[in-house]
Amino acid sequence: MVRGAEPRAAPEPQRGGGAQHDTAPPRTGGGAAAQGGAMLRGCGRGAAAVLRRAAGSRGASGQEQGPGPGRPPEPSLLRFLVCPLSKRPLRYEESTNELINEELGIAYPIIDGIPNMIPEAARSTQKRPPAGGSEQP
Amino acid sequence: MAAGLCPGRALLSRRGGALWALLGPARGLAAGPETHFGFQNVSEAERREKIYQVFENVAEKYDVMNDSMSLGIHRVWKDILVHKMNPSPGTLLVDVAGGTGDIAFRFLNYVRSVRERQLQQKLRHQQNLSWQEISKSYQEEKSNPLGDSQVVVCDINREMLKAGKQKAQHLGYSEGLSWVLGNAEELPFDDDKFDVYTIAFGIRNVTRIDLALQEAYRVLKPGGRFLCLEFSHVSNPLLSRLYDLYSFQVIPVLGEVIAGDWKSYQYLVESIRRFPPQEELKAMVEDAGFLRVDYQNLNSGIVAIHSGFKL
Repeated sequence: MVRGAEPRAAPEPQRGGGAQHDTAPPRTGGGAAAQGGAMLRGCGRGAAAVLRRAAGSRGASGQEQGPGPGRPPEPSLLRFLVCPLSKRPLRYEESTNELINEELGIAYPIIDGIPNMIPEAARSTQKRPPAGGSEQP
Repeated sequence: MAAGLCPGRALLSRRGGALWALLGPARGLAAGPETHFGFQNVSEAERREKIYQVFENVAEKYDVMNDSMSLGIHRVWKDILVHKMNPSPGTLLVDVAGGTGDIAFRFLNYVRSVRERQLQQKLRHQQNLSWQEISKSYQEEKSNPLGDSQVVVCDINREMLKAGKQKAQHLGYSEGLSWVLGNAEELPFDDDKFDVYTIAFGIRNVTRIDLALQEAYRVLKPGGRFLCLEFSHVSNPLLSRLYDLYSFQVIPVLGEVIAGDWKSYQYLVESIRRFPPQEELKAMVEDAGFLRVDYQNLNSGIVAIHSGFKL
């Protein structure tokens, strides 16, 4: 979701700091990407709002719009969750609202506060595909 | 080709087996050994996909359909399950294939009332309390009405979880309840975590029941209890005839009329017939390592509750 927003961020002229790049910047780029990052976050917020409306959730938890798409999960749940493949603990990444397994280099998305722990849905966090290529969606 | 792969598959570890299931379609091999979808024979991957679609289609109308098909009796079955569980406050429950949250809500109600009774009894037995102590006790009840009980609802289908979450909001359940999208054959929980594992009307839809039972064993604490509520086999011949008649003539029609979906409910009744009977399921539960495995027939075997302990 967040990666998909990048190409859209590049041509958008608003939100100050014009786009100085023609192609989509890499996520961990240099200074120019910082402004792209600001636009990205703006897109992310917009996307989050769309997602929330689409999901029909009436915002019962009343949480502020987080930096990532969707609401963070309940802290009590994070205690229990491990990676279904390796059964190792996960790290909650607030910026992308994902649960990350560092060892295997995969990230599980959290949508609407519900973590998606199906291996096929996990995203690879590595730049190059891992040797096995089996955890990639 | 599939035959040659099967022994290899058996040799792979549990996790390896899951990876194999992922790799199979990617490499263009046969997507798993043959299994059944209702009365059809399909590959495992196809079955998983078809079942996902069934529940995606019925999610919105799931509760309504349950009420009309079982004439509301499914509520009694679920009540009996939770009463059998008899959870005390502080219990950690994982409800797998819990979709719309029926078991989870009943669990929360149960522990809340047990907790209330506990606190009332405590008050009654201490006659010479000062006013501060009494009010402290009431505050205790307010701040911790569930007594630290928790239930995690795990389901493989996003639509069912969404429906469940909405229902929870609507009915006012928030504390002690969490939702996870996960596969019963590969639970995203660590070992020895939960006091009770329940799967109500879900194990029938799992592709590899043995894997699901192994996972159930894994995530339960020592002393933990496994409870499975599922349609089963009716031995009484007359009742069996009537049940068949009702299942095959009435239920798909209800499905079409109420949910606009004949096929899903056709699948439902066929899958019930294909599911192993009481003794066979009991043997499977024992194979997973559970002890003191037993089952209780409800309504002469239309439904059965299987119970086992991790000891």
